[in-house]
Amino acid sequence: MSADAITTESHLGDYAVVTHTLTRRFGRKLALDSVSARVSVGSIYGLMGPNGAGKTTFIRCLLNLINPTSGSGTVLGHDMVRDSVAARRKIGHVAALQPLWEWMTVRELANFMAGCYPRWNQDAVKAVLSPVGIDPNDKIQELSRGQRTLAALAVAIGHQPELLLLDEALTGLDPISRREVLRNVIDVMHAENRTVLITGQDIADMERICDHVGFLIKGRLFWESTLDDLKARVKRIRIEHPGGPQPQVPANALRVERAARETEFTVTDFTRDLVESLAAPGRRVEMLDLSLEDIFVDLAQPQLAAAGPAPDAPVKVPA
Amino acid sequence: MLNSIDPKSAVPIYLQIIGQIRRQVAAGVLAPGDQLPSVRELAAQLIINPNTAARVYRDLERDGLLETRRGQGTYISPTAAALAESERKSLVSERMAEAVGEARSLGLSDDAILKLFRDALARRQG
Repeated sequence: MSADAITTESHLGDYAVVTHTLTRRFGRKLALDSVSARVSVGSIYGLMGPNGAGKTTFIRCLLNLINPTSGSGTVLGHDMVRDSVAARRKIGHVAALQPLWEWMTVRELANFMAGCYPRWNQDAVKAVLSPVGIDPNDKIQELSRGQRTLAALAVAIGHQPELLLLDEALTGLDPISRREVLRNVIDVMHAENRTVLITGQDIADMERICDHVGFLIKGRLFWESTLDDLKARVKRIRIEHPGGPQPQVPANALRVERAARETEFTVTDFTRDLVESLAAPGRRVEMLDLSLEDIFVDLAQPQLAAAGPAPDAPVKVPA
Repeated sequence: MLNSIDPKSAVPIYLQIIGQIRRQVAAGVLAPGDQLPSVRELAAQLIINPNTAARVYRDLERDGLLETRRGQGTYISPTAAALAESERKSLVSERMAEAVGEARSLGLSDDAILKLFRDALARRQG
């Protein structure tokens, strides 16, 4: 384990986040099950999964708001647990329905946050607030849900963090606020070596802005790659066989659908050779591209069906 | 200027944008010397990953459709006019290849396919 940690340390330049078999239990529930994730510096990494998959637990571990039960990790080169204070200085964090000081005005909130960090870029804060008409004199409690999220984002990027964590920050926002948040995230990325880790449910948003994706279900990270790699490898194969016999389907094929004269399935290791190996007289073999949503559903299905080690008894997560 | 993209489409986003720019060059909507938004502007305008926007320009520059003038921005290249003619042909030939593939898979003979093309041309002439 310690040898592992040393090896990772020498490659930290490439990764903003590295975790090793990160595990967190809440009572009998395994919220994170041996998650080994790598988030490349300069990427927008989308961590996707259904509710209760462990996305927020993962983010909270990175922030050292909760301790891992076992496993380890580094954030921006700092040990997640031991050096969390150093790491936190370089992280910006926006959560869904983030508690803010309701009685403060937006300006007071920004000034308060500015006091917490050695350097602060007020122009970056204004650049988020002004286009959407948030007045610095507005009280937080008077803001709409979308405005609150934008205010939270504005103060989260004031210290120019190297890593921005957006935990379900887009969930439940109106389309205009959502676009504005995404636009600001893209703007943040313009500076060198910035990294964004975003969790959420809206797959279309993820597909727009992410270049890396991780799929999390029942606390297990069962896929992690670039979005391009994912789309190149996961394909739907359709075989029309009007005259001939039913074709053989690869053993690891997913969502196999058989009709009398047509067979469809999803593969996760697509190559051109595969199409050729399936070819036969009287057959037409076709490769279909899949959207991220289709890919997620096809890959997630066997994970959901697999019997998880943890019982599904609802466990209260300490706030 | 650019149409919006469809993130739900199975066609990768960078290919959607490349396709739109090629079509606009082929149709003369974009002409040599026209300036394009910066990578940052393109990413913010379409709300896409900046690396995706950079890849669009990299690929189009490699193909000779765009040129980047250091410190000034990205422009439709002077050679794009010559490319426009071949672009027009290649866009149509891609569609024709699809149609031929479909026709063959449905078992039509070459003569039958040619006749369908002639009929389609004749219908459009009126």
